[in-house]
Amino acid sequence: MLISYNWLQRHVDLTGIDPEQLGLDLTLSTAEVEGIEPFAAHMAEVTVGFVKSREPHPDADKLGVCTVDIGGDEDLQIVCGAPNVAAGQKVAVATVGARLPGDFKIKKSKIRGVASVGMICSVRELDLGDEHDGIWVLPEDAQVGQPVSEALSGLTDWIIEIDNKSITHRPDLWGHRGIARELAAIYGRELKPLDLSLPQTASAAGVPVGIQDGACSRYIALAIDGVQNGSSPDWMRHLLLAVGQRPIDLLVDLSNFVMLDLGQPNHLFDRKSLDASGIQVRMGRAGEVMQTLDEEERKLGTSDLLICSGDKPVAIAGVMGGAGSKVGNDTSELLLEVAAFDAVTIRRTASRIGLRTDASTRFEKSLDPNMPLQAAGHLVRLLQELQPNIHLPSVPTDAGDWTDPAMTIELRGSRVRRLLGVDLDNDAIAKLLASIDFGVGLNGDNLSVRVPSNRATKDIAIEQDLIEEVGRLYRYDNIPERRLTGEIAPTPFDERQDLVRRMQDRLSGGAAFHEVLSYSFVADSLLAKLGAQAGPYVTLVNPVVDGEVSVRRSLIPGLLGLLEKNRRHHTDVRLFEIGKGYLPENSDERGLPGEVHELALVWTRPEPGKKARFDEALFPQMQAVLDDLCIQLGFGQPCWARPEDGQALDPWFHPGHCLQGHFVARGNPKDSRAPLTIGKLEPGLHKPLGLSQELAGEAILARVSLDGLLESAKPGFRYQAIPRFPGNKVDVALAMPSAVPAGSLVEAIEKAGKGLVKSAELFDHYTGPGIGEGRKSLAYHVLLQSDSKTLTDKDAAKFISRLERLAGELGGELRSE
Amino acid sequence: MEERLNQLRASAMERLAAATSPEDLRAVDRDFVGKQGSLSELLASVPSLDPKDRPIVGKGANLLKRDILAEIDKRKGELEAAEIDAQRSGSDFDGTLPAAAATRGSLHPLTLVRREVESIFVSMGYEVLDGPEVELDYYNFQALNIPADHPAREMQDTFYCDREGKLVMRTQTSPVQIRAMERLKPPFRVICPGRVFRNEEPDATHEHTFHQVEGLVVGEDITVGHLSGVLKGFLRQLFQKDIEVRLRPGYFPFVEPGFELDVRCPFCTEGCRTCKNTRWIEFCGCGIVHPKVLSAGGIDPESWTGFAFGFGLDRLVMLRYGIDDLRHFMGGDLRFLEQF
Repeated sequence: MLISYNWLQRHVDLTGIDPEQLGLDLTLSTAEVEGIEPFAAHMAEVTVGFVKSREPHPDADKLGVCTVDIGGDEDLQIVCGAPNVAAGQKVAVATVGARLPGDFKIKKSKIRGVASVGMICSVRELDLGDEHDGIWVLPEDAQVGQPVSEALSGLTDWIIEIDNKSITHRPDLWGHRGIARELAAIYGRELKPLDLSLPQTASAAGVPVGIQDGACSRYIALAIDGVQNGSSPDWMRHLLLAVGQRPIDLLVDLSNFVMLDLGQPNHLFDRKSLDASGIQVRMGRAGEVMQTLDEEERKLGTSDLLICSGDKPVAIAGVMGGAGSKVGNDTSELLLEVAAFDAVTIRRTASRIGLRTDASTRFEKSLDPNMPLQAAGHLVRLLQELQPNIHLPSVPTDAGDWTDPAMTIELRGSRVRRLLGVDLDNDAIAKLLASIDFGVGLNGDNLSVRVPSNRATKDIAIEQDLIEEVGRLYRYDNIPERRLTGEIAPTPFDERQDLVRRMQDRLSGGAAFHEVLSYSFVADSLLAKLGAQAGPYVTLVNPVVDGEVSVRRSLIPGLLGLLEKNRRHHTDVRLFEIGKGYLPENSDERGLPGEVHELALVWTRPEPGKKARFDEALFPQMQAVLDDLCIQLGFGQPCWARPEDGQALDPWFHPGHCLQGHFVARGNPKDSRAPLTIGKLEPGLHKPLGLSQELAGEAILARVSLDGLLESAKPGFRYQAIPRFPGNKVDVALAMPSAVPAGSLVEAIEKAGKGLVKSAELFDHYTGPGIGEGRKSLAYHVLLQSDSKTLTDKDAAKFISRLERLAGELGGELRSE
Repeated sequence: MEERLNQLRASAMERLAAATSPEDLRAVDRDFVGKQGSLSELLASVPSLDPKDRPIVGKGANLLKRDILAEIDKRKGELEAAEIDAQRSGSDFDGTLPAAAATRGSLHPLTLVRREVESIFVSMGYEVLDGPEVELDYYNFQALNIPADHPAREMQDTFYCDREGKLVMRTQTSPVQIRAMERLKPPFRVICPGRVFRNEEPDATHEHTFHQVEGLVVGEDITVGHLSGVLKGFLRQLFQKDIEVRLRPGYFPFVEPGFELDVRCPFCTEGCRTCKNTRWIEFCGCGIVHPKVLSAGGIDPESWTGFAFGFGLDRLVMLRYGIDDLRHFMGGDLRFLEQF
């Protein structure tokens, strides 16, 4: 909202108060001032000139060549096309070098061969109105040579911009008088009295008004006759311009002026266009339409409050008037409407039809129902000053069942001191409240505070609201800072937060994963690519992007969506995210969906070369990352197993290349949980996800359920004694049928060692020539070690011969040792 | 014979002086002291000498042997020292060759700053809480003194998750205030960092998903002075310098009185782009907890008072690292992430 410094001066004397200081004080006590700017700054560069003569242009009928005195040593020759320019006028001259609105710079020029130095301006060229049918003729007393901004005092003004968000709760601040009241309190000055009483009317019966809906609690209708429309006076035009309102004509300007002065919207109808039966205020009917002042056809509905002449809608209450009853040049008989409308009804209508006007913005703040009569008085008095011949042919109609919201609240001085933390005595509190027109009675330690009606509609209802008033008028920056004291218990250990932090550190370290944050919403298009089951998903009713309606169940789809673009710049892409997913099928009794916490990892890079070791493939690499993580987090080495046949897997996992990691559940060694899943990317998804052609490669995904981990037991860590006897290292290579899993062979190795196998590390895995069809070769470093003696070659030989036999039982053979 | 000994000595010492490698020393050892060496030969000839000369030659030869061995040791030490000296030279070193490629990952900048914020508050006795991102309307609005018709619901452009308006993507971390009050017995101090959602088109300074840190302190005599004291203490730690703050009126339905807290711009003394030449940066909304909110959380507003605050984490991160586009945070681009 824009506020004019000059306008404020109509209500409070601001002598000696610099606009910047005023802005700061308002910010610290009342509402945020976003900026302060001089009004029409360009007017300082426009000079009052006197047209000495106007001669016709030798080559153009419509142009004139003027000689203009601007108070300098020489007169200026200016070519001007305006029909109304004439010798003897005082005019606004933009001299060479001046900048006009629209970044228009005045230069020396030749117009049809005649030199022209400067420009005689119209009102529109100076951005002071819409008139452009001729130049702006200044008052005769304007002093030649002065900047126009000095010659016309109304043009020297400051525009104060107030952040609307900071006054949504303050219906009283939506007009200049409200802001002036605050300033009067801040500076200890008087709010100038203003006569808002309605002048005497004739005694004929008023315009009939019928209110059919509670959304209108008060409707004042007043007939005004003998009006002559035209231009409004300069002082009013300049004030309106300063706050961004284009002057239109006297009646429209006056209506706007009253709204911006007091904060009370009002409407002027041309009474001749209204039905003699009077005004009906009712809700709209389905299918009703009306053309508003802006000449748009509006479809009305049953939730819109309408002002009707007879049965015909002539205004959308509190939003905008109708085109049919609009005042114009020849309007002489008016009907003035000033009303109190329900805030929510007006807000909904304005929002539904997408028409937020100055009026609706004010009504939706819950305006004081006392104000309509005052605003009517104000408007009539202003009009009367300008046109003393108007008359009021009938009594005002004041309909509605409104009640005065003014109220009394008990305020404990002790409570003020306790909440604000300052030592203010009750007299000081009373003085602060009285400065903004609150009535205060002292009653022991209690204050009995009368809240005026313009503050009591919404903002102030309880004791604590009054404490805010005291605090802001005292000024919060006068309240001394204090430190908290008190007993502090150790902060409870939060195991999940601890897990998250340690996971982040481990993964972003040697494992070289990068942490990402992805959106909680997954696009339908991505879900369709992934072939994800239709859900169930928590879905948005009003997504910001069409098709991004599903709230993620798992973090993996979001990460999958990031692979392609990152692979374009990186050969090796490792991402992880820790976050939440939502499962509507697990909603609680209040409707809150089940929340899951998970870690998701994705890793993709080109296929390893032919010479790569078997464990350079991504699957074992990712498995190592998870093993390391679980050991680091204290859960120990997970027990990996293929998912059971028929077990449902997320569709992004390769059903054949997938493992689940188990731990024993807490408190129940028989129950085992699988919080870990690791798998290759489902082969059918490489292409849809863009991981084909030059971006083709291996892609591995993993999911770790934090909830599952937190339910898993931690085995606890015990140190093991350092071996006292040297070990015996034996390398063995075995040719086995392809179908025999490596795990069975390791079991055989352990069995062959009879408790002496300390470790068996696979170092080669080979299929191909030399091994034979359907066979593979596995080679291990085996460490044999005893706790009680030094092993000899004989012990190793015994191990080898037992292994040879056991391998044979599995259909394999020892290739070498 | 004595002359012979002197010759041998001179010759051995000359070769040792000229020796440049351990091999040279070993050769001297072999040629003079070894089994077939000249000294050994000389000693072997002692029995055949004139008995008068025997002790002189024997003694002289042994003396010479000892001296040669000592000189070999000395020269060995010198050669080793020279070798190490030679190694010490950096002439064969190219310091501009690149280091081996380090593999490292990264933490998201929001994680980095969030951790800083958390540890400062934890050091002041705060507990870090978490709350659901898909939230009941009750916690996000109603219990926070934002009833059904309140304009704040429209101000905040809420994502609704059902037609009845019972389930929303939380628009603020403030619902955790109510959850904290339900769970904890006063007095307590908590913060809750987390992601929040507003129905807004993303651009360089707007996102539909962003991050806040909520704070709530409930105690017996919590005042406005405590609120500014705590936030000032926090900011001093965060920016590692003494920092001026100011409170001014601000409107949030769940606090009364409500404030905006501004921070004196830590980046300039004269006004800069960050503070839009005002020398103040809007830092957070805060206030004394509204009695209706305390009641909704099951806390008696007559016995207890409290303050609450909420600030944007994304903006802090942008200030910290000079990031100019909010969309980087959720964009998942490694070229951005790997810098942290």
